[in-house]
This record gives sequence, C-alpha cells and structure tokens, in this order.
Amino acid sequence: MSTKAIESLSEDTVRRIAEERDEPDWLVETRLDALEALATAELPDVIRTPGRKWTDLEALDFETLVDPLNQADTTERDADGDVVVCSFVEAFEEYGDVLEESFGSVIDPTENYLTALSVALFTTGTFVYVPEGVAVEDVTVRAEMNSRSLFSQTLVVAEESASVTILESIASGADVADDRYFSNLVEIVAGENANVQFGSLQNLSPDTYTYSLKRGDAGTYASINWIESNFGSRLTRSDVETELNGDGSESQIVGTFFGHDDQHFDINARVWHQAEHTTADLVTRGVLDEEARSVYEGVQDVGIDAWNTSSYQRENTLMLSDEAEADASPKLIIHNHDTEASHSATVGQVDAEDLFYLESRSIDSQVARNMLVEGFFVPVLEEIAVDEFREDVEALVAERLR
Amino acid sequence: MSSEQEHLKETNTEARFEFKKEEKSAFKADKGLNEETIRVISEDKDEPEWMLQRRLRALKQFQEMPMPTDWPGQPDISEVDVDEIVPYIRPDVDVRAGVDDWTELPEEIKDTFDKLGIPEAEKNALSGVGAQYESEVVYQNMQERWEEKGVIFCNMDEAVQEHEELVREYFMTKCVPPSDNKFAALHGAIWSGGSFVYVPEDTTVDMPVQAYFRMNSEGMGQFEHTLIIAEKGSEVHYIEGCSAPKYSAFNLHAGGVEVFVGEDAHVQYSTVQNWSKNTYNLNTKRAIAEKNGRMEWISGSMGSKATMLYPSTILKGRGASDNHITIAFAGEGQDIDTGAKVYHNAPNTKSTIESKSIAKDGGRTNYRGLVHIADGAENSSTAVECDALMFDNDSTSDTMPYMEINESKVDVAHEATVGKIGDEDIFYLQSRGLDDDDAKQMIVSGFIEPITEELPIEYAVELNRLVELEMEGSLG
Repeated sequence: MSTKAIESLSEDTVRRIAEERDEPDWLVETRLDALEALATAELPDVIRTPGRKWTDLEALDFETLVDPLNQADTTERDADGDVVVCSFVEAFEEYGDVLEESFGSVIDPTENYLTALSVALFTTGTFVYVPEGVAVEDVTVRAEMNSRSLFSQTLVVAEESASVTILESIASGADVADDRYFSNLVEIVAGENANVQFGSLQNLSPDTYTYSLKRGDAGTYASINWIESNFGSRLTRSDVETELNGDGSESQIVGTFFGHDDQHFDINARVWHQAEHTTADLVTRGVLDEEARSVYEGVQDVGIDAWNTSSYQRENTLMLSDEAEADASPKLIIHNHDTEASHSATVGQVDAEDLFYLESRSIDSQVARNMLVEGFFVPVLEEIAVDEFREDVEALVAERLR
Repeated sequence: MSSEQEHLKETNTEARFEFKKEEKSAFKADKGLNEETIRVISEDKDEPEWMLQRRLRALKQFQEMPMPTDWPGQPDISEVDVDEIVPYIRPDVDVRAGVDDWTELPEEIKDTFDKLGIPEAEKNALSGVGAQYESEVVYQNMQERWEEKGVIFCNMDEAVQEHEELVREYFMTKCVPPSDNKFAALHGAIWSGGSFVYVPEDTTVDMPVQAYFRMNSEGMGQFEHTLIIAEKGSEVHYIEGCSAPKYSAFNLHAGGVEVFVGEDAHVQYSTVQNWSKNTYNLNTKRAIAEKNGRMEWISGSMGSKATMLYPSTILKGRGASDNHITIAFAGEGQDIDTGAKVYHNAPNTKSTIESKSIAKDGGRTNYRGLVHIADGAENSSTAVECDALMFDNDSTSDTMPYMEINESKVDVAHEATVGKIGDEDIFYLQSRGLDDDDAKQMIVSGFIEPITEELPIEYAVELNRLVELEMEGSLG
C-alpha cells in the first residue's frame, strides 16, 4: 500500500516521539522498522464477495487523520496488590527486560499497515506485569482521547500461575472539530497456568475511526478471556484473537456491539488451536439501529497437532431498523479430525409475538421493544464475570435505547 | 422395482473409474484456444451467425479476465492451462445431431454407456435420456407421450438449429452471462453439446429426464451447456451424471447450466458427479425463480481433482423458494470446494441449504456459501446447515459461509458442525458383529442419508455404491 504513504511522516517524527519518552534503543529500532514497513505493508484483509466489499479501509485518509506529534490523552490507571500497572515510560527503568522480551512477540509490528503505523507512532498505553503466583482482581485503565489521532499500545505479561482481571475503557475527551483516528494494539502473554481476563469498552465520539487489534498467546493450561464491547466511533475495525499455543489452554471471546446512526462495525473474533486439549468459546451479540451496519468474521482454526479440540462459536445480530445491514461469516478451518467444533450465526428482528405478549400486558410498545433488546444481550452479559463491566455495558445499552 | 434392480446389478459402477476407450474421432480441434478454433467449431456445427458472434465475444472476455486466485483457501488450479486443453472433439458418429435409436451407435460408444447403465435406466425409470461422449451428444431420446405434450428434450446443438428463437433469447443472456467469471467466459466461447429442456405451461413431467456426460480422451475439456426452461406451473426433474476415465494429463470440465423456473413452476436438478481424479471441475450453475417458483439443487460431488462449484439461485419473484442439498466426498489428493449461493431479491422468499461433507486420506472439503438478502426482501428466511465428518488427521475440513443481510424483517440462521466418527458408534456396531470397515461405512451412509433419500432410487444406489468404493480398504 505504498499509495498510503503519509507525507508528514518521517524518521525524524518517530525519533522525536521516542526521544520525548526517553525510550531505549531497541524500541526506537522497532519503531523505525515499523515505519519502514509502511512502504510495503498491506491494509488488514477485509471480506469481499461478488459485488460487495464488506468494509472499505482504503477510503481512510491517513494524511489528514494522522497527526503524530500532537497526540494527547488522559489515562487513569488503578490497581491494588502486587502488580505493576503503569505507562511504558515508567516501566523502562525497572522492567525494561520484560518489556523488551515480550513487546511485539504476539503481534508482529509489521504485520499490516495499521499495526506498523501504530507501533511507529504510539504515545500511550499500559504495561501490566503480574509476577508468578500473584492474583489481582481489579486493574482498571480509563483513557480519554484528547487529540485528532491517538496511538495506544498495551502489553500484559502474566507469569506462571498469575491471575489478573483488567478492564480498559476508552472514550473521547476534548472536542476536536475534524475526523479522528484511534489505534489500539493489545498484546497478552499468558504463562503456564496463568489466567488473564481483559475487558475493553470502546465508546468514542461519532467522528472517530477506530482500529483495534488484541491478541493473546496462551501457554500451557493458561486461559485468556476477552470481553470486547463496542458502542462508539463511526467506523470500528476490531480484531480479538487468541493463539492457544499451550496444551490444555483455553480462551473465551465475548463480544457485544450496539450500532446506530451510520455507524459501521467490523468485528472479528479468531482463535488458533495449536496444541492438544484446547478449548475455545466465541460468543458475540450485536444490535443494529437506524442505518448502522455490522460485519462479523469469526474464525476457528484447528491446527494439525491440535488433538482433542473443542471449539464453539455463536453470533447473533438483532436488527431494529429496516435501513440496517448485517454481514456475517463464521468460518471453520479444521486440520485435525479429533475435534468437536460448531458454529452458528443468526440475523433477525424483535420477535413479533414476544412484543405482542408484552403489549397485551399493557406495556407501551417502545418500552416493550427496549425490554426485549436488553433481554437480547443477557446471554452475553451473563458470560461477563466482572460486575462493574457488566453494569457499564448495561448502562450504555439503556442509554442507546432511551 | 425388480426390473430396476436388475439393471442396477448390471451397472458396473466400479468399472467406470478404469475403463477407457481408444479415442476415435471424426474431428479434433487443435490444442489451445484462439479465434480460429472458435470459428472452426462453430462452422463444424453449422451455427447461425449470432451464436458465432456470442462465442467470439465470450472468448474476448475470457482472454481479458484474470484467473481467480485470491479466494481465501481456494483449491490450487494453477495447473489448469487452457492452451493445453483440447476444447472440442466430435466422436465418429455419422448422424451429426446424435442418434435416437440406441442400436445405431458405434459399438465402442454403446459399450461405454452400456457399462454406465444408460439405456437400461431409460427403459425403466426415465422419461428421456441424453448421452454425451466427448463434446457431442451421441444419443438422445424422449418418450413419445412427453413429446406429444410439447415437452422438448434435445441436445443443445440441435436446439440452436431447431428452436433458435428460444435459445437466442435465453442462452447466456439472462442467467449466466459469459462475463460472470473466467470459466463461464471460456464456456461461452467453446461450449459444445449439453441438453435443452423445455416444459410448456402447466405440464408435469413426472419421470426424471436424464443426461450423462463422459470424457474419454486425454487432456480434453468438456464444456456442455444445459438450458432448462420450465414455463408457468410446470414441473420437471433433470438428472445428470458425469464421469471420465483416468489419464495422466488433466481434464477440464467447465460446463454451464441455466435454469428458468417460471411462475409456480418446480424444477429439481440432480447431479452425481464422478469425474476422474485428474479433472478440474469448474462449473457454473444458476437458476432464476419467478413468483412462487421452486428450485431444488441436489448434488453429490465424489470425483475430480479439484472442484469449485457453487450452484446458485436467484429468487426473483415473490414467494419463490430454493432448496440446496449437497454432499461432498474428498479422498486422497482431492480438493472439493463447493457450496451454494442464494440471492433473495423479492419478499417472502425462502431458502434452505443442507450440506454434508466427508474428508479422508488427505482430502479437503470446503463448504463455501453465500446468502444475500436484498433490501426490500421482507419476510424472507434462510436456514443453512453444514455438517462435516473427518476420518483422519491428514484431511482438512473447512466451512466458509458468507451472509449479507440488507433487510431487517428476515429470519437468518446458519449452523455448522465438524466432528470425527464417534468411537462409541463404531464400538456399538462392532459389538453387533460388524467389522470396523462395515461399521464406518454404515455410519457414513447414515450421515449422508438425508441427501440420498431425495434422489431417485437408482441414483441413491449409485451414490451409496460410490461412497462404498471410496471407503473400501482404505481404513485402518
């Protein structure tokens, strides 16, 4: 995608960002490699069928969206217990080794144009380090985006038998007149028997274009559970992925989205079974109102060595408006026959009989519809073990339904 | 019934993998494809000028289009070199448009089809039969009582001459234009043979119409065209069977099927495809269903080296419906990439897709399907169900459905499962005295039963027999 070269971007830009943050050499080099990769890297794949491109990333005008030297954000990090939760800058001195070892080990910075751009330019994000055997319940990261563009990079390292729950939320702060771009890369390294739960709630302003790629590497007996909630931004491209690299590892990916106006959600959940006795469960539910559009791709890839795999996927979309559109493609790629795998996807509307029943109990039709929509989310909300996160999602759903 | 079973015994299904006839042809086009080849084919067939022009236009489109290579996980078709394919062979039969008496056929062609059980099948269960050897239809017959009712069943070349107006109106104009894909364009340029079926208004052909296609020469392509027009309120069931012997060079099958399902009409199209395992099967099949019309595709894909085939239905009229039933069986070295495509373009349309696939000995199956519901197609519903069975760890089973829903008042459901043969099921059968092979065969038969029960008995038996052949001796 050399046509997407951004003129205002140069080695000098990248060096200035790194210098301001007093970064170690290896990171500066990684950034510069990423910058160089921009010349040849492709945009992430989007699904095309005859006559239809499901998401048009090529229309994004990075020249105007990206303003690397004026990134601004407010990020609050909270944690109790024997865990490190801080910005990269704060971590360089004491945890430089851990950072260097794990940074880019799950997501190759040069994987595609958007990852390369993100690694070259990131100025915020969080480093979470959970030492061996430590269990922490509440790590929260609340971020506000206060600039035209913002690039965020998060790394979670959970050592053997560590356990952590992290909740991240991102919203828009100060108003910016133009279109905005938010990029968020999250890497999780879960060591043997570690347990990481990562919830993410995105509610950015409607003039924002969002790219988010979250990927975890699950070691032996490790489990990585994702909760991915998308409410805001005009166009969202969200990829949540787990590589089950260790025997007996597990992953659950729970997704919710609620689109209105002319929002476009491109939601992707992928899991690679690479070892024996691994389990995955992908559950996504979304609601579309007004002219919103959703695109869903779910991939369950079972490798040749993944004996005794269990892999399940469900996706349901509820359409509230005649102008809404929903595309879905749940995929199974199975190379090992010792597998139990299934997937299902549905698209439908609010059930007329259910509505009639509620109305016959003298519930106003608007209220009845809202109740049914809230009820639609219940099966996924039940999968969310963290009360606080569930309440936040419920509140956002209720707000949309007003 | 008894007479049917009698002929089935004689039909040596196994033999069709191996036996091949020394090719003996009156005319064989040079390898490769150019304008000259097309002119020669068209002239040899004595075609009207408009058909030649259509062929030439399609050739141009073929040359301009790129090979499809960017589909996720698509079969490797890089070996397909159209310049190596002999596009057209006319067998040495005197009667140009085929014969309608079996005894008039040359001995070796008759022998080939006898092995396949063609004439017996006609006697017993079919209302009409056509048999195509290489590029030309060599035998065509229709029972008289259908002819009297105005039903037409003839070979496509004859139709160009005898039913020119109909063919001119419908042939690759409204349903599968040559510009649809590269192999449809190729087909439009060098098509030869195939069937033409016309069923007049309110006529029900209550016995199936059958065609059988066979490639006997090495390195040839078969490009038969089937055009079915079912007028308002009519009903017809068309069955095709395909086979070719094994050769070292590859064969290419790029047929074209166009079906017009009129208002309230009902067409069932059944295929048992058993091309030899060096054949690239890149077919284009499509139906358009008018108001309350009903289209059914029933396919068993057993043979070929690589198949890329997605029978599609455009539900154009209100209340039209579609039903797809497919079985894919991929053994060693086979890549069967097949599925279905349905476009819901009108309100109250309905589709169901049922797919079963079996992968063993390193074969790959992929269900690739697209369901599109257009804006305004209110109260449409679609249900897709894919089940895959895997035998061993060298095999691959993929499922890639695509759903595009532009209408809110719909009911869309997709479900898929992949699994291995249950150890408990096998154990149970073994405890009843069946050996391992028989037990597995029985489970596979049960797995595909929902499909075989939709087929007429002789095809169901053939399909089961083919599955047995595929299963035999290869299990450990």
